[in-house]
Amino acid sequence: MALPYKHFEAIEKHAGLLAVLIAVMVSLGGLAEITPLFIKAHTVEAAPGIEPYDALRLAGKDVYVREGCHVCHSQMIRTLRFETQRYGDYSVASESVYDRPFQWGSKRTGPDLARVGGKYSDEWQRLHLLKPQQVVPESNMPAYPWLQDEVIDGEDIQARMRALRFLGDPYTDQDIEGAPAAVADKTELDALIAYLQGLGAKNVPAAAKEGAP
Amino acid sequence: MSGFWSGWVKFLVVLNLGITFLLFILALRIKIPTRADGTTGHVWAHGVLREGVRKLPRWWIVFSALTFVVGVAYLALYPGFGGFKGLLDWTSTQELERDADANDARFQAAIEPLRPLSIEQIAADPRSAAIGHRLYLDNCAACHGSEARGNQALGAPDLADRDWLYGGDSAALLASISDGRNGVMPPWGSALGRDGVNEVASYVLSLSGVDAPQDWVAAGKLRFEMMCASCHGADGRGNPALGAPNLTDNVWLYGGDFSSVAASIREGRSGVMPAWRSRLSEDEMRAIAAWVVAQGHHAAGS
Repeated sequence: MALPYKHFEAIEKHAGLLAVLIAVMVSLGGLAEITPLFIKAHTVEAAPGIEPYDALRLAGKDVYVREGCHVCHSQMIRTLRFETQRYGDYSVASESVYDRPFQWGSKRTGPDLARVGGKYSDEWQRLHLLKPQQVVPESNMPAYPWLQDEVIDGEDIQARMRALRFLGDPYTDQDIEGAPAAVADKTELDALIAYLQGLGAKNVPAAAKEGAP
Repeated sequence: MSGFWSGWVKFLVVLNLGITFLLFILALRIKIPTRADGTTGHVWAHGVLREGVRKLPRWWIVFSALTFVVGVAYLALYPGFGGFKGLLDWTSTQELERDADANDARFQAAIEPLRPLSIEQIAADPRSAAIGHRLYLDNCAACHGSEARGNQALGAPDLADRDWLYGGDSAALLASISDGRNGVMPPWGSALGRDGVNEVASYVLSLSGVDAPQDWVAAGKLRFEMMCASCHGADGRGNPALGAPNLTDNVWLYGGDFSSVAASIREGRSGVMPAWRSRLSEDEMRAIAAWVVAQGHHAAGS
């Protein structure tokens, strides 16, 4: 079965047609690999013990994202022995349902933080964010001294909680009403520490894994 | 993976592989018409460049064919073809379990001989203490420093100076690691006033033989006995049951200059050692305690 050369020549000589056909072939891979997981991501339910972030931790999470902590720190312990030994049980999707944006990844300039909650004292975290080299002389972590100067705005946090409720996070009216009191007089530093100290601390890995997708 | 999405992936994989394979076969069989000079007649740059026709090299054809073989073999053996689990039944969690079990067996073999030994005995053997050293660096060095010399900015105690807040026997050491500690010094600034803080700080420094104004020392002694002695003892030697530091040994948790001591009295201190029970096994905590004890020996011997 010899195909006449003119069909190949048509593709070869028309750059536009060539580009369209290449795009079709490449997108087949994306359709197979991305679409099913994209659709499935919206059906993952929270693992037992995983609650939406309370007001202070939510404020801390947004500071974490704003300061770009994710550029150096992932929150995903992979199913590799040297990771589970260092950081704890491997992460599952149902632990991250309230993370917007999610913090999965494998960028490890600094250590993974998925289960860092409770590993250090609040005072250590405070000093480490203000002057990292004072607790870890070898560290290349930058300092974030401005975090102690900014006070959290309670109404702003309420607005964020309403937006998250609109997206499906189960915040109650009391949660939202109580937000200004919960963050009153708290600095961004306090909020970030509260967020970090909660990471993985409330998770029940064994229970989470039973429902793992 | 649900039935629909499994079918979706299978369909796309077959389609993609099928089109690619068809093009591969057809391209090999195609006959390209040539002109008398052996070129295809395609020209670039006003005829300076002309396209010739060559047969594909054999190595290229074989290599391309192999990518199909490897691709299909991979999809047959490992998960990837929709919901098909693969002939090897491989999962990443099973591989992790095998890996962790193999490593645990090695760790058990190393730690087993240490179980009947006391922490002092383990500390005496450098090879055994090396296990504790590795665990110490991973878990403890962030606060106590990689040389175990503590951190006064944080109030993390020096572990090599043989001066213990909560007692230095193995039971007390293990309790500190396993359950953590909460050292609380209340703030005395408002009760003592500015002069009172200076007087008590002077007296406290004088207990360690540091020079301080004599009249402040005398006044500070009276205040100390009223307000501080219940935790630090009438003689200032501290109380390991409370973790109240010995104030007479010139060892300072938060710095021994006048302003640091005065700040401790005025504002109080709160030192937190986290509990490691949920992160470390009993064996691991014993190994760490042994390495810490060994550091005290090195410091004393040097």
